[in-house]
Amino acid sequence: MPSDNTLYLVSVVATAWAVTFALRALPFLIFAGRNRPLPRAVERFGALVSPVIIAGLIVYSYTGLEWRTAWPYVAGALTVGLQLWKGNPLSSILAGTAVYMMLLAATGCAAVPVEHLESKASRPLVRVTTRGIRFQGQPVAPDEVVKLLEKNGVPKDQTLHVLVDEDFDDARALWVFQHNYLNRGGYTKALMMVGARRTLSGDARLKESETDGKVIPYPQLYTTP
Amino acid sequence: MNSLPVLMGYLTMGFAAGVLLAVKALVPYAPLWSAILAFSAISGTLSFAIVPAIAASDPFYSIAVLTFAVNFRYAFYGFSMLGRWRGLPLLQKWFLVHSLADEIYALDVACKIPDPRKNRYYCLWNHALCAAYWVVGSTAGALAGAALPIPSRGIEFAMVALFLVIFTDQMKGLVKNHAV
Repeated sequence: MPSDNTLYLVSVVATAWAVTFALRALPFLIFAGRNRPLPRAVERFGALVSPVIIAGLIVYSYTGLEWRTAWPYVAGALTVGLQLWKGNPLSSILAGTAVYMMLLAATGCAAVPVEHLESKASRPLVRVTTRGIRFQGQPVAPDEVVKLLEKNGVPKDQTLHVLVDEDFDDARALWVFQHNYLNRGGYTKALMMVGARRTLSGDARLKESETDGKVIPYPQLYTTP
Repeated sequence: MNSLPVLMGYLTMGFAAGVLLAVKALVPYAPLWSAILAFSAISGTLSFAIVPAIAASDPFYSIAVLTFAVNFRYAFYGFSMLGRWRGLPLLQKWFLVHSLADEIYALDVACKIPDPRKNRYYCLWNHALCAAYWVVGSTAGALAGAALPIPSRGIEFAMVALFLVIFTDQMKGLVKNHAV
């Protein structure tokens, strides 16, 4: 972890302080010794530039969320709606964040740092693709997965890493797979790793040839066992 | 005191920022750094926005650009305080400028005490109390985040929510003043 570095953190804090203080002190420097009102043009500029910067930050920070799912937009609409309605920043922020966290927890889409994936799960046994579920590269039906995991002696008390293809965007199907199949089969610690295909190596990078012939379409996931 | 709403807001937002720093940036001695960061740049937006940057070990010049973008609005707050704070001792003035954050500024502006000396006295107390709430909240949050297994998945939305709230209020203000 590079942020262990005390010197680095000192530089971060010093930079943050220096820039913030300089910005806050700017008017006092410009108008030192003079006492006159702010020019109208500067006032208007300030009133317009701030929202533009904040809007840019909103767009940028969405890329750090699960932006391929609907949840950040649902939670965002709720936050803005509450703020327009009640005007209480604290409750708007808390409600939006709580709803976002609950939606993520319910759908099982995990945002896992890449280095975490590479060290712990570079060879996941189970992979969810848009064309069905694979077990060690072989197409299988959802209800076969637990049997195969048990047959291979995969422990139920440890985290089971499941690779979900980046283009698999059906959150409901994923939820059904995790809860109705894996969890009911005793694998309660399933970690659904979304969009990790490009970062993985070796066995996880499956070739199309491995799937030839037998393709099990994912709508089968909807059938409960 | 008038700072009671800010007390609730700063303690809670500081707490959230502290938790975020502890669980997302994985900083060692998170409560200490959270306190230092909270006091050195009394800025809620920055305390949230800086977390991903620290987690990615961004160099100091990236931090400088980020800070500049996030806190650009502060450059406009001082203008309305120029006359009121004229002639204060340097250390006091320095502290007032140092802690000129959104809510604190709003309370300063709302203060209508005509006597200049009492008015400055009010500003100093307001800044000191609010800064203290913010530091206490941030430290407590980082302590909790470092010690407890807080479910953290998705907690980063708090930052986006803060931006959305600021943006919504700015839009409300613009529409109200017919500035657009």
